Amino acid sequence: MTDFTTNKTTGGRLDRRTFLRGTAASALGLAAMPALMPGAAHAAFDGTLKMLAWDFQPNTIASLVDGWSGDGNPQVDVAIIPNVGYSPALQTRLRGGDEIDLYYNFAYNTQKFIDEGWAMTLNDMPGVDEMIDDMFESSRPTHVNAAGNVISVPYFSAVHTLHANERFLSEAGIDKMPSTLAEIYDASVALRDAGIVEAPYVAYWIKEFCEEYLHVYLLNEGIEAFDAEGNPVFADDPRTVGVFEWWQKMYREGLAPQSVLTDDPGKLSNEMAQGNAALFVLHHYFLSSIRALEGPESANVVLAPLGGDNHTFQMGEVLQLGNTGDEERRLAAWELAKFYGWKDAEGNFTVFEKWADAAGLAAPYAGFFTDEAVIAAFPDYYDLGQLSDIFETGSKVVPARTLPWYPDFQARVGDIVHALLLDQATPQETVDALAKAARDAADGGPKL
Amino acid sequence: MTTTLRKSSLARADAWFGVKMTSVAAISMAVLLIVPSVLTVIYSLHDVPASGVSFGEFIGLENYRVIFTSKVFWRSVEVTMIFTGGFVIFSTGIGLAMALLLNQNFIGRGFARGLLIIPWATPWLVIGILWKWYADGSVGGLNALLVGLGITSEYKNFLSDPNWALTLTIVAAVWRQASFAGILLLAGLQSLPGELNEAAELDGANAWQRLRHVIIPWLRPMLVTVTVLNIIYAFLQFDVIFAMTQGGPGDATQVLSILIYRQLFVVTQIGLGSALAVVLGAAALIGGLATVKILYRGASAT
Repeated sequence: MTDFTTNKTTGGRLDRRTFLRGTAASALGLAAMPALMPGAAHAAFDGTLKMLAWDFQPNTIASLVDGWSGDGNPQVDVAIIPNVGYSPALQTRLRGGDEIDLYYNFAYNTQKFIDEGWAMTLNDMPGVDEMIDDMFESSRPTHVNAAGNVISVPYFSAVHTLHANERFLSEAGIDKMPSTLAEIYDASVALRDAGIVEAPYVAYWIKEFCEEYLHVYLLNEGIEAFDAEGNPVFADDPRTVGVFEWWQKMYREGLAPQSVLTDDPGKLSNEMAQGNAALFVLHHYFLSSIRALEGPESANVVLAPLGGDNHTFQMGEVLQLGNTGDEERRLAAWELAKFYGWKDAEGNFTVFEKWADAAGLAAPYAGFFTDEAVIAAFPDYYDLGQLSDIFETGSKVVPARTLPWYPDFQARVGDIVHALLLDQATPQETVDALAKAARDAADGGPKL
Repeated sequence: MTTTLRKSSLARADAWFGVKMTSVAAISMAVLLIVPSVLTVIYSLHDVPASGVSFGEFIGLENYRVIFTSKVFWRSVEVTMIFTGGFVIFSTGIGLAMALLLNQNFIGRGFARGLLIIPWATPWLVIGILWKWYADGSVGGLNALLVGLGITSEYKNFLSDPNWALTLTIVAAVWRQASFAGILLLAGLQSLPGELNEAAELDGANAWQRLRHVIIPWLRPMLVTVTVLNIIYAFLQFDVIFAMTQGGPGDATQVLSILIYRQLFVVTQIGLGSALAVVLGAAALIGGLATVKILYRGASAT
């Protein structure tokens, strides 16, 4: 009998899962043994798995999955839907009873999906402990909740970094790469006053994305957003108002263009490539977009860490296993998840290597950054040592983002921050409104 | 007696034939309209879990209390009313103007009529994406046009400005819907007997008087239809606004349909979202019925 919440198996027979667990346990001292590598155990399931992904390089997704199936694994029916509106579409499908074995998800949805019965915890899956051990310590809270349950597998990870036009900074007489909020403000003013760029700073401040920037800017100033219980302790930190004063000032003074409230990241990358902006804060891999555009300033744009002595925000989207089918089907889905979110049967980062090559996406594993194939896959304008350091010690995830009420809060941040930027609220009112939104979300019940 | 029986039998056969003919439509209506509507009302009275596995706890009118005491809701109502007003007035008015123009004899009239169909045949979502780029503050054609005409001196980020974003979404939606109104009203104009206009002209009526006393009364049933449809389209408008601004900046374009989408599909507060949907549905229904009543009352007065 299978407990659908904990995946615990009871009964005296030696079933496949028990066998695999036993195998994994006995293999702890034999790490090099090929049969123990991720994805090595071909699942007994001979049906077709269902996978749902968002529309990022659909052909690559298809080829990766086909490659996995071609290695003697089950066939996979992959459905790909647009990234915009993915979360509502996924929830609607699951609510409607669609059985999806493996799906992309946003990290902030994960615990909610477990609680709603749409996803399963992975604690007892073969190899899960090794996968978690492989991760940067800084990345683990995204995938392991406070109770110690493994709730997801990495799809990709990224750190918020500064994309800076070195030539422009040099022309403005700025020797040190800006890193703190104050330094970014000063550099923006200098760039504008020198007549180099009218609105030097760009960021993806559309409503849906303001929540990530909330964490970027709070972490940059060394402010803890939520405590272990999910309380919005940022509201009690006297430095928090200063963060929102900075945010409002950047927009009000035109250091960020007025259009950033609705601009998409493709446009922002192009602004950097064309030399219409000099500083761009977003996931590190947007450097690939900026360089690929081959604009007049593309080659002058480099990555730099954010936060000074503090941290930047580490984000990562995830894969979750649906609560579908029988044990064999789940084990097959888990094998696919390991392949897709960790390593292949030979212990290679096959999938992550593809993403690195295609778009500069990273994986939250230390070994990823030292893997020769991965190093070769990354364009040479990435400093992988620097990126690895940011992952390891220069960035943090926000564990509260996986709490079940968090999607509710996440959906409200944009309205509140936009009101600040549009001068409809003061920084203090913004802090109060965000804290209230977090408490309301945690309290549950109907709220608009 | 025999004749009566035969008539009765024929009537039954006719009735049965009628039932058979309408059954498909009736079942479709029941499945696609009545069942979801009833479920939405039931959901609105419950605290429905996101998983949708049950109705959840019955909470009576609590969802409605939350809605009607929320500033977010009333702001959304305000935005919806402004959008609806602008959309209905301009799409109907411009549609009428286009119909009058295309009812004249001029070279290329057939081609011009063909062009009228293009916006209407374009999906709402595509209209939204087109206008998002057209209104772009860096590369948008609208800015180029305004600067070229000397109306503005520099490019403006319309969609990031809360004072302009709603206006632009109305313009985009009107651009599409005016052609729909124009097509319907042109069909109405073509059924207008030429003698009516000629008689009015002989009686000395000028163009404005002919429009007011001959053409508008003739088109009134069509105008009622167009206006009611436009009101419903306006209340339910989602695609264009979502594609252009996603309800932003801030709450500048957050019409009720976008608020419902967020509650139902993003936040997954199904009970509250359903209550909002009930309120919006009722508002669209009342608005449509009121329009019919007002326009037909006007008709009987003339």
